[in-house]
Amino acid sequence: MLTRRNSIKAAAGVAAAATLGAASSAQAAQTVKIAIDASLTGADAASALRVADGAILALDDANAANEVPGVTFTYEKFDDGTATAGQYDPAQGAINARKMVADPSIVAAVGPQMSGVGKAMSPILSAGHLITITPSSTNPDITNPEFASIYRPADNHAPVYFRTVTTDAYQGPNMANFFAETLKAKKIFILDDSGAYGVGIANAFEGQAKKKGIQVLGHEKLDPKNPDYTAVLTKIKSMQPDSLYYGGVSQAGAKLAKQSYQILPHIHKGGGDGIVGADFLTAGGFPAVEGWYATIAGPHLAGGKGKAIGAFTQRYISRFKLVPDDYAITSYDAAWVIVQAVKKLVAEKKPITRDNIRSALLTITVDTLQGPVSFDANGDIKSHVVSVFQIKRDPSKPLSDDMAQYHYIGAAPQA
Amino acid sequence: MSGLSLFVQQSINGLTLGAMYALLALGFTMVYGIMELINFAHFSVFMVGTFVALYTFEAFGIFGQSTILHGLPLIGVLLAAFIVTMVVCGGIGMSIERFFLRRLRAVKGPASMITTIGISYILSNSVLLFIGGQGFNFPNPIPPVRFHFGQAVMQVEQPLIWVVSAVLMLGLTYFVQATKLGKAMRATAQDPEAARMMGVDVDRVILTSFFLGSALAGAAAVIFGLYYEYTNFYIGFDAGLRAFTAAVLGGIGNVPGAMLGGLLIGIIETMTSQFISTNWAEVVIFSILVIVLVFRPAGLLGRVAPNKS
Repeated sequence: MLTRRNSIKAAAGVAAAATLGAASSAQAAQTVKIAIDASLTGADAASALRVADGAILALDDANAANEVPGVTFTYEKFDDGTATAGQYDPAQGAINARKMVADPSIVAAVGPQMSGVGKAMSPILSAGHLITITPSSTNPDITNPEFASIYRPADNHAPVYFRTVTTDAYQGPNMANFFAETLKAKKIFILDDSGAYGVGIANAFEGQAKKKGIQVLGHEKLDPKNPDYTAVLTKIKSMQPDSLYYGGVSQAGAKLAKQSYQILPHIHKGGGDGIVGADFLTAGGFPAVEGWYATIAGPHLAGGKGKAIGAFTQRYISRFKLVPDDYAITSYDAAWVIVQAVKKLVAEKKPITRDNIRSALLTITVDTLQGPVSFDANGDIKSHVVSVFQIKRDPSKPLSDDMAQYHYIGAAPQA
Repeated sequence: MSGLSLFVQQSINGLTLGAMYALLALGFTMVYGIMELINFAHFSVFMVGTFVALYTFEAFGIFGQSTILHGLPLIGVLLAAFIVTMVVCGGIGMSIERFFLRRLRAVKGPASMITTIGISYILSNSVLLFIGGQGFNFPNPIPPVRFHFGQAVMQVEQPLIWVVSAVLMLGLTYFVQATKLGKAMRATAQDPEAARMMGVDVDRVILTSFFLGSALAGAAAVIFGLYYEYTNFYIGFDAGLRAFTAAVLGGIGNVPGAMLGGLLIGIIETMTSQFISTNWAEVVIFSILVIVLVFRPAGLLGRVAPNKS
């Protein structure tokens, strides 16, 4: 029996043969396969599904509109979440990256969702000349030229990790500005979840908070698998902070929200994009998550009334029966940028190869749902907007419609 | 917060944590005491228990923290949750013994222990597969009552946990010391062959100890859920490992030792977070374990193991 997965592989194999063969002209019907990687197993499964679905929708739209004549886009989903980690697992990310590199029909990737996975994948993708565009991972080290020899050792340190969101080098500090200027925070305690993303964003926040004159009472790491944070929260309470900042994802975040609601009910609490999404809301639950501030590393678009966004939201809901969030949109954008890069190659009658897609990405500006997207020489998006939200219960909407519970406050003051 | 209040507060936190570890540790210690087997499936029986309790509460229409009950309905729902969860967990424990471990009892070496590790993963991955990997908001119908001692605050769930743990542990002690089946358990623990010759139904004794240990894990699961209002498919591993450590620290096979070990680990974990740092808790717990075992290899209260001579 030919399963769906097999048939995709078979089709891709034919396409690969076509590209490798002499008849790789732009006119011949071609299939272009895109890998999609997200943390579909574990604590962040709900937001991972929205991210993966965003990219899938973009490829479907491109096929339906015949965006690139003669090219059909297919995809293969990869899951970097594992049962043993209970959330994203960098080791699984590395395995996925090797599989992607080894499959000659894959010419580009969307993902990963998480920075910890990105750190593991980037060097492997670099060696395989395979670019990826992440719609949500924000750790700045991966694209920082200082660490180019670690994360993109091959091809003369050519960029391999592109983003349709900005990095924690902006997300953390802009949020620190928000705490200092808008919330008038004076004394803050900082926690992170020991992951690559959590540590990075918490450190970036801490640096800017100190510059803004906020007294940082301490910075501790939580073990995301430990159920009990009451002791550290009691210690924090004894220092009498007026604010708490958490860098990390929902696995530790939901438990932190629960327990800090009991122990530190009256202070400002906030985090980054790791606590935006249905995972944090449903596991934390109201009233524990009420009042938490959170950011995303891009402009706020979900639920917007604009023509393109409205049409996108309708298509997304009717196809996946899920309400898209902002990173579903940046994921759509990421896949759409790849579609446009392929389109450019076809127009210029260049073969659709991994290296050519990279060169195309570095030169194009693509009109996406979030506006024009272009990349700098490291693969980072040129826009640095960070949006701030506060969680407030909207009883008229179900918790699974997560963005209805995150009330947009505005763009954070730029660092 | 004054130094004294802080100490009182952290002691409350530590005792609560310790009471849960102690309940969980009893399951390890009972099975070890009788069969000299470390039952790693216990981790996941506890985790499954949190989901059984969660669905029991939801069957009563209690979701999240929005439904608060008082008086008799509250007591009724809590009792129902405890009974259902303890019976289901006890049943899982008995099935593990009856269908898997009994067949391996004659096999020497680590086959039984590896089997329990396997069952542990099967249970946790089944929950991942059929229920999901996300975190779950555990329903809690208990009114948010607070008691104040100076600046220290006690949630009403905390004394409830102590009382439930104490009652269950005393009940278990009574059962083991004073009932006929308890006597049979002690006899089996001392020498299974001799016990069999004296007419003790060893199979039944072992099945009972699996039922009791797993039912206590079920009780710990309800308590855990009500206190943290959270569960997840991996939640058994961290708590289970510490409870196992508690059992070894107190002297494996020794029922009072498991209780003492549980309370100690809970307090050590809390005080480490207070005075050193929360990510040092595991280092300190396991360092103390190693030091205790170096000087008292049988644990604090001595170990009780079958006489296999």
